[in-house]
Amino acid sequence: MTERRQGLLFVAPAVAVLAGVALYPILGTIWLSLHRSILVFHEHRFVGFDNWATLFEDARFWSALVTTLYFSAVAVSAELALGLLFALLLHGVFRGRGLLRAAVLVPWAIPTVVSARLWGWLFNPDHGLVARMLPGDEVNWLGTPGYALHAAIVVDVWKTTPFVALILLAGLQAIPVELGRAAALDGAGPLRILWSITLPLLRPALAVAAVFRGLDAMRVFDAVYVLTGGGPANTTETLSIYAYKTLMRSGDFGYGSTIAVATFVCVSVLAAIYLWLVVPTQEPA
Amino acid sequence: MRTTLQRWLGLVVATGALGWSACSRPASAPNQPGRLVLVHQPLWGNPAPFEALLEQFRRDNPEVELRTQLLPNDSDVSHQFFLTSLEGGSADFDVLVADVVWVPEFARAGWIADLSSEFPPTALAAEFLPAAADAVTLEGKTWAVPWYLDVGLLYYRTDLVPRAPRTWAELEAFARAARTRDPSLQGYLWQGRQYEGLVCNVYEAIWGFGGQSLAGDRLALDTPEAAAALTLLRRLISTGVSPPSVTSAAEEQTRLAFQNGRAIFMRNWPYALGEAQQEGSAIRGKVAISPLPTQHGEPGFGALGGWQLAINARTPAERRPAAIRLVRLLTSLEANRLFALEYGRNPPRRAAYLDPALIAGAPEIAQLLPLLERARPRPLTPYYGMLSDILQSEFSAAISGVRPPAQALQRAQAQADRLMGAPR
Repeated sequence: MTERRQGLLFVAPAVAVLAGVALYPILGTIWLSLHRSILVFHEHRFVGFDNWATLFEDARFWSALVTTLYFSAVAVSAELALGLLFALLLHGVFRGRGLLRAAVLVPWAIPTVVSARLWGWLFNPDHGLVARMLPGDEVNWLGTPGYALHAAIVVDVWKTTPFVALILLAGLQAIPVELGRAAALDGAGPLRILWSITLPLLRPALAVAAVFRGLDAMRVFDAVYVLTGGGPANTTETLSIYAYKTLMRSGDFGYGSTIAVATFVCVSVLAAIYLWLVVPTQEPA
Repeated sequence: MRTTLQRWLGLVVATGALGWSACSRPASAPNQPGRLVLVHQPLWGNPAPFEALLEQFRRDNPEVELRTQLLPNDSDVSHQFFLTSLEGGSADFDVLVADVVWVPEFARAGWIADLSSEFPPTALAAEFLPAAADAVTLEGKTWAVPWYLDVGLLYYRTDLVPRAPRTWAELEAFARAARTRDPSLQGYLWQGRQYEGLVCNVYEAIWGFGGQSLAGDRLALDTPEAAAALTLLRRLISTGVSPPSVTSAAEEQTRLAFQNGRAIFMRNWPYALGEAQQEGSAIRGKVAISPLPTQHGEPGFGALGGWQLAINARTPAERRPAAIRLVRLLTSLEANRLFALEYGRNPPRRAAYLDPALIAGAPEIAQLLPLLERARPRPLTPYYGMLSDILQSEFSAAISGVRPPAQALQRAQAQADRLMGAPR
């Protein structure tokens, strides 16, 4: 009993810190989402679920949600595919491997705001490299609905593929070399080894990368905000950008909190689905 | 292990204490008693005439130490600056410039002082142009004094079209005729990027279709007039009268294209006329201005722009007389004339347009009087700053074809109503 109490005592500080920095703000935001709160005009009153009723009818919210989901799905798939490719290449034995492994990390090391600015210039319709290099009619990438979101996806993929590659590389190195050699002795080709041995064993690493990137992408803000500011015509507006604009630009703290809580709920649901997909693979091990 | 932990804890406590002491300091050091600070946006051009005006104030008020502080040349960033510092109760500056759409917001928030005793609304209405006086009065009180004005105009090429078009149909027909003679020409340039300029362009079109900005306390967005206006703007692009690039254009892009002789019509502010008539301009002597076209041919209404001078509500009573004197000087008839002649800024005082020196020295400004008399402010509501984000995005969606105008207006109306606290 004393041991149990001692245990609780040891855990208490961590619980207190978590409650202070995570639970309290979340509960505070949920409470704020039940108010009409425009601080500038000293308007603050309880409105119950009015904000939530508005949210469900708010076309801008739904399009921001669709934009965010599309962004996450496309960006994370591309990152996993490219990351796997890079990881397999870097896993090989060749001269200068250490140097290359370090070099691949450069996009990940650049602050997101800087890389978004950099890509903003690359996509510039008048002087940008992208517009010059692509054949066909000139496209104003950042100013054309439909193109702008894909430009943002390109930036995100460029930036975070190294991170995925690194996680997968670690996963690859944990796979015993003997398995591959044994399969080769049994006459399996490289593709067959990849499909039947490497990929199944890499599944935990892939899942970790997918969870991290998926949750991150759902909250994407800086890259898109710096690149397009949510435009043109709000076609690149993600949930975080909508929440930010409502909170900071419009000063509407009640409804802004509602959007923020909705984002939190979406991310939590996604996290739960991921965990549910990942956990069974760990049980047999 | 324990020592590391202790060190970490010490660091955390120290950081917390630092942060706390930083927060508990007074938000801003109070202004010194005899000092008066004017915050304004860059004027460009030769600084000497403006400096001379400030020097005159210093001579007449030797007990006051007048200082000036420049804002960034970006209206959104300046607004953000005022939002943070005024909401934070800053008394670092006394006299400030406010964009025409900020005055109701600043007044409702209690950030700017009531100037009704020194500048009664009736006197403003008598001396200043109607839209300018309207924009600075709220609920029968004066909150700022107009400094200089802007208005949306139609520019046209006198060598390419017979006369100024009065209706939108005429504009489209004139543009088509001129473009059949020279297909390399662009028709009508305007500002369609997702920013405040787009809101001005759209409201001008709405007024030209007989629409209003406000219906009671609500914005009048979901109306047949607004739908007709947005449909027209979209049609101008889809039929090629306006090039697709207008959806990402602001003032300068359109002015450069027009000034290089590449377009027949342009909507812009008065500054573009001075530039177009400069030596070396490709269209010098071939450009004229007129009111914007409308649906039925009456002269159009240009959106009112420009800057007003207001006094910080936190300015202590003993500094207020000096602040009032400064506002009086900067908005006087002489100052109006100086800003017109030296900086090409349009005076808000009606009398300035009848001033012989101004008529002789800046005839292009004197001729704007009838246009300025028809200028209209964008919706005068304290919520404007919060609404403009909604207006910009929905208008942008309509003109770039992302969604039909009627649907964009419905969405904008719903968002605006909610923000303004209208009953659902």
